[in-house]
Amino acid sequence: MTDSDLHPYVEWIAREARRPVAVDPAARDRVMAAVRAEPIPVRPTSVWGRLLSPRAFTFSPVGGALLAAGLVGLGVLGATLANNRDGQSTVGHPKDAVATRLPVSSIDTVVKFVYLAPGADKVFLVGDFNGWDTTKTPLARGTDGSWTVTVPLSAGRHLYGFVVDGSWNTDPRAPLAPDDGFGHANSVKLVRRGSSL
Amino acid sequence: MTFSIQRGIRASVVATSLLLASVLSAQEGDPFAKLENNRYAFDLILDSAAAAGLPTGPLMSKAREGIAKKVDSKRIVEVVRKLFGELRTAHAILGGVDEQELTAAAALLDAGAKPSQLELFRPRQTGRNDLTAFIVWTDFLQRNIANEEAFTAISKLWRDGADDATFQSLWTNVKGDISQGLNPGTALQNRIRETPGRASPAPGKPPEGQENQSSR
Repeated sequence: MTDSDLHPYVEWIAREARRPVAVDPAARDRVMAAVRAEPIPVRPTSVWGRLLSPRAFTFSPVGGALLAAGLVGLGVLGATLANNRDGQSTVGHPKDAVATRLPVSSIDTVVKFVYLAPGADKVFLVGDFNGWDTTKTPLARGTDGSWTVTVPLSAGRHLYGFVVDGSWNTDPRAPLAPDDGFGHANSVKLVRRGSSL
Repeated sequence: MTFSIQRGIRASVVATSLLLASVLSAQEGDPFAKLENNRYAFDLILDSAAAAGLPTGPLMSKAREGIAKKVDSKRIVEVVRKLFGELRTAHAILGGVDEQELTAAAALLDAGAKPSQLELFRPRQTGRNDLTAFIVWTDFLQRNIANEEAFTAISKLWRDGADDATFQSLWTNVKGDISQGLNPGTALQNRIRETPGRASPAPGKPPEGQENQSSR
């Protein structure tokens, strides 16, 4: 018993498949003639048309990486310029020892912070007014061993400290806040409109 | 086939880079990304504070502080939760005071003041702000003045209607005496005896830290 006995249609299909196909020798010429007869696509002449017409882009791996790097840069730049969650603006950089971190509308007093550290190499002012950024507000060294920075502040109670060569210190000229819960103490600056404690 | 593989590699490079860019941007824009596994608990605290009518700014600032001080995220959330509890207690006692006063009152509780002592400050006089009194009181506790002594002194001045300048002057004098070696409690008792209930214009030098300021 063969498969053909079981499936007569299979034998019929195989027979049809084995039959030689007669190819018209002129078929290829007819196809090519039909292709040549098609009009050549015309590139849009108007600017708007060019902008709307679909394009195909290809990238080499290096080109794609460069494009990605550019996008990363744009993303980081955008995030840097954007406001953060608690609404404090992050636009701008300290200029010398003058920090301008708060929106102008909320500035009520310009406060000069002074810290005495003759042997220090770097001193930074860090507090809730600069998002607790440990490098954003550097103090400038004076000739007498004091370090100073002038910061515009909004009215209210501000917590802060000085980071002196990497270690946190309170301001001996200011009231103390409770222990911060992290093993450090903070100082308090109370700013009224035009004055502070 | 070769063309398809190359195109696939290019697409993968671009897609991976875009993903990396978006992740980096998201982390850059999210100051609390370092809370990692404890981020959910932190967000819950913020939501609870907002639902209770409490300001979330001090809680976020505390988290930022912990991140800046390179503290373990679990500890940060514990401290934020503790602050939330103190803000809630202060709010329950003082009612609708502004955010600054509420935060100062919470700090005062954290420093060791009793909630029952804060109740003295609940009846509000129109336009009166107790921020300076709270800050000075907290400072005294941090300088190892007993809470009962500090409370007695501050509440006396408060009842007498002392203004900010009076509290500032008291703080300046007590701090100076302590730095001269006087016992903190004794320094406060001495100074409170000579402090008038309502401040007169300070003779001589202004309170420390104020001499270098200009207003806008």
